[in-house]
Amino acid sequence: MSASRPIRLEALLRGETGELQRWLSQPDLLRIAWAVTLIVAGAGLFGAVVGGWRSELQAAYSAVKLPLILLITAAGNTALNGLLAPLLGIDLKLRQSFLAVLMSFVLAAVILASLAPVLAFLVWNLPDATSPPEAQRQAFALLQVAAVGAVAIAGVAANLRLYQGLRELAGSVAPARRLLFAWLATNLLLGAQLSWIARPFFGQPDLEVVFLRDDAFRSNFFEALAYNFRQLLSL
Amino acid sequence: MNTSVPPLHPNPEDSQPILGLSGVLEALLRRPRQLWQQLGQNRSPSLMLGLLTLTLVATLLYGVVVGSFSGGTQWWAAPLKLTFGLLACGLLCLPSLYVFACLSGARVGLLDAVGLVIGLLALFSVLLMSFAPVAWIFSESTQSVAAMGALHLVFCLTAIAFGVRFLHQGLVHWGAPSNAALAVWSVLFVLVMLQMMTALRPLVGTADTLLPVEKRFFLQHWAKNLNPESEN
Repeated sequence: MSASRPIRLEALLRGETGELQRWLSQPDLLRIAWAVTLIVAGAGLFGAVVGGWRSELQAAYSAVKLPLILLITAAGNTALNGLLAPLLGIDLKLRQSFLAVLMSFVLAAVILASLAPVLAFLVWNLPDATSPPEAQRQAFALLQVAAVGAVAIAGVAANLRLYQGLRELAGSVAPARRLLFAWLATNLLLGAQLSWIARPFFGQPDLEVVFLRDDAFRSNFFEALAYNFRQLLSL
Repeated sequence: MNTSVPPLHPNPEDSQPILGLSGVLEALLRRPRQLWQQLGQNRSPSLMLGLLTLTLVATLLYGVVVGSFSGGTQWWAAPLKLTFGLLACGLLCLPSLYVFACLSGARVGLLDAVGLVIGLLALFSVLLMSFAPVAWIFSESTQSVAAMGALHLVFCLTAIAFGVRFLHQGLVHWGAPSNAALAVWSVLFVLVMLQMMTALRPLVGTADTLLPVEKRFFLQHWAKNLNPESEN
């Protein structure tokens, strides 16, 4: 009975041998629709919890933006990821590369959703956005650390499963590792910039709640990162 | 959802039914394999109910000892808060346990995860209850809320360590080749529990209100308790 299910989530989470092949070899619209639904629901729930600390409106905005980033990253890198696979030694078609990346995003979204109740409990326990500035600042910092920690756990676990699947497909370690790092790099490049454009997710207490900031398309994630490093080192 | 979990290392003794509360307690302490096998194979509602009853009774009893330090409303508030907090921790961490158990490779379904969480909570509560006489002696001989709080914390952490070990061994029994994901979950569970104790304060001392009016992260709360001048 379970074999007829569009996505055998437990098997994917367990990293069962052959599950990724099944996922890649029998692609159909129903399965892709399920994957998209899981990403929208899982990442959306996590986004809502993270944004919920600031306000209901921020919760709604973050619930929409987070899944969108994952889906646009997967779709936007389809061509590049598909080209990199055969070049790095794994014979995957364009569609299969997209499905493999989508699968890892499904896993990340499911892990994020499973952590959402714990994060919601933390949000409920933090001084809210109407508290004195010092308490707000501490709460905001703590929320960021907790959310980034959750995203890191989800990302690491999802990529470990993806690596496992690629290793099975390639039959050896080296091409799987090369392709995983290449995909990570391309997804990080696009995903990080999309996150930069789509900010805010947490909703800084001293700024107005907006879907996109007025300067959304000014600068980029990596420039901001370099600027922060320079500030840190006082260069 | 997932079908019943086949026993990986079948043992005829492990299939014998667990009868009564004393049987559940015996199995929890001496024959955990029997418990895991029956939780996985039969998903027996009576077994889960037995574990839940043990949890409730043991936590309420320990809560009375916690409340005895301050007396008054804490006689009933501390046991109720402790019991509610423990069950809430289990519920909050259940979805992540299920996902992390799958990530660790264990062949568990959602109901198996429910059984494991109840088992963990039952063992935690029973161990906590066994600390009750010691806690009571200390609560009768000290006036320091911080000292009593620290003592209860040590007892809780000791009990959690055994509870988490029970969970890890259970998942190994159900085929988890790696416990790395479970180690992450265990840290999460401990953090939720520590925050729950802070969210439901006061448990040991007294306050004007039954629940706190000011929300705090547990580390901030500890820091303020250890350095009361910083509050002013």
